[in-house]
Amino acid sequence: MFLDPDSKLAQRLNPVLFLLPALTIYIVFAIYPTYSVVEYSFTDWDGIRPDRDFVGLENYQRLFSDKIFWEAFRNTFVWSGVIIVINVGLGLVIAAMLARVWKARLLIQTCIVLPVVISPMAVATIWRWMYQPTGVINQVLETIGLGAFATPWLGSPNVVLYALAFAHSWSTIGLGVIIFLAGLQAVDEDLYEAARVDGANPLQSFRYVTLPALRPVTAVVFILTLTQSFKVFDIVWATTQGGPIRFSEILSTYMYKRGALENQYGYGSAIGVSLLVIVSIATIIYMQIQNKEDR
Amino acid sequence: MNKMIKISAIAAAISVLPIAAYAQSEVVVWVAGEPGQANVYDHLASAYNEQNADVNVTIVKNSSDLFNPALIPALSAGEGPDLFSFGTGPGQPAALIAGGLVADLTDAYFANDWADVIPQGIVVQTSSDGKLWAFGNEVETTGMFYNKAVFAEHGISVPTTWAEMEAAVAKLQDAGFDTPIGLGAADKWPISHWQSMMFGRYAGPEGIENVLFGDGAWTDAPFVAASAKLQEMGQAGWFGPTPVAIGYGELMDRFWAGEIPMTLTGPWVINGGAEAAGDRIGDFSVFAVPPFEPGQKIHPTNSIGSGWYVRESSENKDAAIDFMNYMFASQEGRVTLLNAGTVPVGPLDAALSEAQMPPLAVDIWKASDDHAANGSVPAFLDTITPGSLTTVSYDGLQALLLNVMTPEDFTGEMQSAWAAAKEAGEIMLPGGIAER
Repeated sequence: MFLDPDSKLAQRLNPVLFLLPALTIYIVFAIYPTYSVVEYSFTDWDGIRPDRDFVGLENYQRLFSDKIFWEAFRNTFVWSGVIIVINVGLGLVIAAMLARVWKARLLIQTCIVLPVVISPMAVATIWRWMYQPTGVINQVLETIGLGAFATPWLGSPNVVLYALAFAHSWSTIGLGVIIFLAGLQAVDEDLYEAARVDGANPLQSFRYVTLPALRPVTAVVFILTLTQSFKVFDIVWATTQGGPIRFSEILSTYMYKRGALENQYGYGSAIGVSLLVIVSIATIIYMQIQNKEDR
Repeated sequence: MNKMIKISAIAAAISVLPIAAYAQSEVVVWVAGEPGQANVYDHLASAYNEQNADVNVTIVKNSSDLFNPALIPALSAGEGPDLFSFGTGPGQPAALIAGGLVADLTDAYFANDWADVIPQGIVVQTSSDGKLWAFGNEVETTGMFYNKAVFAEHGISVPTTWAEMEAAVAKLQDAGFDTPIGLGAADKWPISHWQSMMFGRYAGPEGIENVLFGDGAWTDAPFVAASAKLQEMGQAGWFGPTPVAIGYGELMDRFWAGEIPMTLTGPWVINGGAEAAGDRIGDFSVFAVPPFEPGQKIHPTNSIGSGWYVRESSENKDAAIDFMNYMFASQEGRVTLLNAGTVPVGPLDAALSEAQMPPLAVDIWKASDDHAANGSVPAFLDTITPGSLTTVSYDGLQALLLNVMTPEDFTGEMQSAWAAAKEAGEIMLPGGIAER
C-alpha cells in the first residue's frame, strides 16, 4: 500500500508531493489569473459581455499613443525610485543602527515594524487625515516655527507623489529593516574586529564590511520593495485617486480606471501586462548586476 | 421489513416537513451609498421580511467608490445580487443590457401598474428597445447647504442675486472663514455637482438635452462660459485656498462642525449630518444658488438617484420584483423612504400625508420646487455619461480649479471623449415602452 521510504521512487515522489499543495494554490491564484489577464489583453472585452473579440496587438499599439499611460509610467518610476531609496537605503541604515542599540531595541524595532501589519486602507486613511491642509503635519510645522513648509500635501501637483511615496514607505520599511537585521546577525564579528585592527572607522566598517556582507540580503529587499512599489494601488486610490488631475496617477490606478471604471478590461489588461513586463525586466537587470558583482 | 420501510418513509417525510415549511426565497440586495444614506433599506427589508415569511431579503451596502467594481465582475460571473441599484440613462447601463445581465421588467411594469408611479420622463431614461430595464426609484437634487447660525452672526441674508452672493462670500472671508464654500475636490466627484448645476444654468434643459440626445457639443458657448465661471470662483478663493487637497468626508465634517459655512450637496448627507451635528442640526438650511448672470433662470437640478435592476440569472426574480414594488410603489414603503429624507418618484400627496420628512429634506425640496416651472436639469451628469467622459471631466475639473487648464481646453477634452464614446456605441439612446 505504502511505498518504502528508502525506495528510489519514494525519494523522487516525496519532494513533488510536498510541493503539490503550494503549487496548486500558486497555479490557481497566480498563474491562471496572470494567464487570463494576458489573454484578455488581446481582446476588446468590456468586462460585462459574455463574448469578446480577438483584436491582436491593438491594445498594445494604443499604449504607445496614450499620453496618460506614459504619464502614469513616468510617475510609477519616480514613485518606485523614492520608495526604493527610502526602504532599501534608509532601511539598511536603520537596521545597522539598531544592530548596535541594546537599550529599548525591541521597543524601537516594534515601532518600526508595527505599520507593516496595519491594513493598507487604514494606512491611507491615517495619512489622508494627516496630510489635510489643517491636518496634524501642517499643525506641527506651524507650532515649531516651520510654517513656511506647511503645504496642501495631497493637493499640490509637485508634492503629492512624494508625499504618498513617503506614506507608503512608512508602512512598509519595517519589513526591510527586519530582513536587514537578520542579515546583520549573520555577519561574522571577526570581520569587524579585523577592520578595527586595520584602523577602519565605523563608517568605513559599514562601507567595506557590512555592505558587501549584506549584498544577497540587499538583493532580496530590493526586489521585494520593487515589486511591492510597482503593484501599489490602495494608498493612492484611497487618498487621491491619482489626482490632483493625474499628478499621482501610477500604472495600477490607471489600469483600474480604464478596466474597472470605464469597462475597458481588454485595454486595462494590456496596462497590467505592461506592468508585469516592466517589473520582470527591472528584476532581471538587477539580478544580473548582482551576479556580475558577486563574480 | 415492509413495516420498517413504511416507518422510515414516514420519518423521512416528517423530517422534510419543517424544511418545506420554512423554505424561503433568499433575495440579496446590493445598495450603494454614503454612510447613513442607505440605512433606510435595512428598515424596508426588515418590515418586508416580517410581512413575507416565505422571503428573506438581505441588504448589502457598499461605498459608491467600490460598488461598481465589485458588482460588474459578480454579474459577469452569473452571480451577485438578485436586486441592485445602478446608474441610469445614456451611459453605464447600456453594457449591462447588451450583455444580457439584467432582467426585462416590462411585464412587471404592467402587472404592478407602475405607470401610476414612475413618470414617463423617467421611463424614457430606464428603457430601450421598448423594454423597461430599471425602476428609476428616487429623485435627487442638489442645493446650497448653509449654516444659518453663521449667517445670522455675520448679518448675512440668503443671497438671491449674484451680487448678494459675492457680498456674502466677501463678508465670510473677512470674518476669517478661509473656505466660504466647501468643495471636497480631492474626491473629484463633488466638483461635478457644480459642473452639472452650472452647465444646466448656462445651457438650460434644452442645451443639455441637445448634447445628450442631439447634435450639440460640450464645446458650445454656454458650457465654456460655465467652466470659466467655476474657474473664476476657484481663483477668487471661494472654495478655499486648496480645494483639491480636501476630501469630501473631511469637508462635511468641517461643515457640520461650523467651520465651513456653505457647501453644495444633496439630501444624501442629511442622515449623516443629523448624527454629526446632533442638536445643532436646526442651524442648517438650504437655498438655491442665485443666477450667475443677469437674466439667467434658476433650473433646479433633478436626477434619478439610481435605477433598480433585477439580475437576469436570479432564481428569485419574482421575489426581487415584489420587494421593489413594496419599497417604491406601496404606501408603507414610500412613507418609510420619505421619513428618511429619500424622495420616491411619482405623486407624493398620499405618502406626504403620513410622512414626517427631516426639516433639511423639506428645505432642499422647497428650494428646488420654488423654481420647478423653469424646467430642471440633470443633477449628476457624471452618472448619465460614459465612464471615459467622467474620467476626463473629473481630471479637467481639478485642472480648472488649479488653474492649469483653460475652459476651452477642458470642454474640448470633454467633447473628444464624448465623441469617441458615441462612435463606440457607448451611449444609450432614450427609450420608452409601448402601451399594452
